[in-house]
Amino acid sequence: MLSKHASLASAAVLVVILAVAPAVLGEYYLSFLTQLLMMVALAQAWNTISGMTGYVSFGHATFFGMGSYAAALLLPLGVPWWACLIAGALVALALSVPLGFLTLRLRGPYFAIAMLGLNEVARVFVTLWVDLTGGGSGITLSPELLPSLTTSYYTMFLIAVAATVIVAAIYHSRFGLELRAIREDEGAAEMVGVNTTRDKLAAFVLSALIPGAAGAVLVMYTSYIDPAAAFAPAVNIQMIVMVMFGGSGTVWGPVLGAGLVMGLREVFWAEFPAAHLMLLGVLLLSVVLFLPGGLMALFTRRKLVRPEVAAGPQERPDG
Amino acid sequence: MADHILVVRGVRRVFGGVEALKGVDLDVVRGSVTGIIGPNGSGKTTLFQVISGMDRGATGSVMLDGREILGCRPYFVYQCGLARTFQLSRVFPQLTVLENLIVAARRHDRGARSRALELLERVKLEAYNEVLGSDLSYGQQRLVEFLRVLMSDPSVILLDEPAAGVNPTLRATLWDMVRHLNGLGTTFVIIEHNMDVISDLCQEVYVLSEGEVIARGSRRSVATNSCSRRISGSGAAHERFAA
Repeated sequence: MLSKHASLASAAVLVVILAVAPAVLGEYYLSFLTQLLMMVALAQAWNTISGMTGYVSFGHATFFGMGSYAAALLLPLGVPWWACLIAGALVALALSVPLGFLTLRLRGPYFAIAMLGLNEVARVFVTLWVDLTGGGSGITLSPELLPSLTTSYYTMFLIAVAATVIVAAIYHSRFGLELRAIREDEGAAEMVGVNTTRDKLAAFVLSALIPGAAGAVLVMYTSYIDPAAAFAPAVNIQMIVMVMFGGSGTVWGPVLGAGLVMGLREVFWAEFPAAHLMLLGVLLLSVVLFLPGGLMALFTRRKLVRPEVAAGPQERPDG
Repeated sequence: MADHILVVRGVRRVFGGVEALKGVDLDVVRGSVTGIIGPNGSGKTTLFQVISGMDRGATGSVMLDGREILGCRPYFVYQCGLARTFQLSRVFPQLTVLENLIVAARRHDRGARSRALELLERVKLEAYNEVLGSDLSYGQQRLVEFLRVLMSDPSVILLDEPAAGVNPTLRATLWDMVRHLNGLGTTFVIIEHNMDVISDLCQEVYVLSEGEVIARGSRRSVATNSCSRRISGSGAAHERFAA
């Protein structure tokens, strides 16, 4: 693994660069970085439940969308933008408890499909509740209600940092070890004292908070939200792709994945506008095929088994 | 009167039309080593699944130290002091050997790391503490799985064919550990096909066949029982068992 000092030094440099970015970057690049930081936060959120426990969620955009709508509905009422941010996280939190309780009983593809279905249910629900949400037309916010781009940037920056710190704290904790044991073998984990239901639910709730907050910031940044954008299946796919690209279940994988995928997409789009999605697809496919642990696997080193310790011939189990 | 730490009464488990356990009774004396033998499909592993909470579809009663645990979830059973290993090794492949052990310690056990290292040292696996579970040989995985259940210092340990697929060197280490821990008061219930092991370790033996206990008692009384002779086989192994 990367040494602890190298990881901390890299993180410190990255944080300093991102902290001073608004002073030197123009609006276009600041806008790009805001989106990049949003994807870092979303990828880390997905990593908290799916990377750590192996429960692959195709529905985390639900929490993102709910956070967006919470902010979009509260801002016109005169609620301060930072309170809308907290409200977005709390709405996602309130939604995640019953949803996690219901869906985490399912495993493997059943959980994935249930989450995908949930995303669609949320989208249809918001679309049909026209009186409150404006239906398919969405909600447009008045510019005077919204914070500046720099404020949105710094808010998204703090959310991304918070998400990464949460994942790092979980990863190095007993709780994180239990989550990784669940990912490896849930039955065996339970048999060594891991309360799998409690741990999965806690990870699920934590993973919902960040998208709720990020969704609230996004609506302040774009000043418009509609069901198709808030609950876009593409958001789910992007979270998954970025985590897989960087390294699922690791602390830095989602940061690396989000940074590289967003960066490469931007470069490919500028240089090869006709073929940029194809190029990105080939690259992602290559990483998944040849580096199933993601790019972080390149930084991982394992101790080799010392053959002299393994004494005697191995027999096959007899049943 | 014997002090029973684990008492199983009338445990019945039905899968569809198949009655895997037909009212099994088991009395395990505190500090003893109890063997369970029987042919494949006799219900030995199903009984372990029910006792450990991995299978919660059975009826009857399982009392651990006077507390009903039938129907309780495995993590709760484990926290009550009953741990088990599986018939086929189930180490966590992408966790290191050390992590495999630490995750099984009690939640607020601050000495978990040093205890894990101590256990690894005892079986000469200390050089492997940062090796992933998947990189171990099968025998080493079984040994790590055994060490894992020791992390919470359980009062009862169920071992399901612990020596299957393990080379003779590691097997000897495993049985030495069982003897040592039993000497310290840990109770063991062992499913094993090797009659030499049953003969050597177990004070009491249960013979299961088609979901029923068909014989129980000391290894000698079971060995002379006509039903269990068919189960344990004949020849040198059986003679050693009866001796």
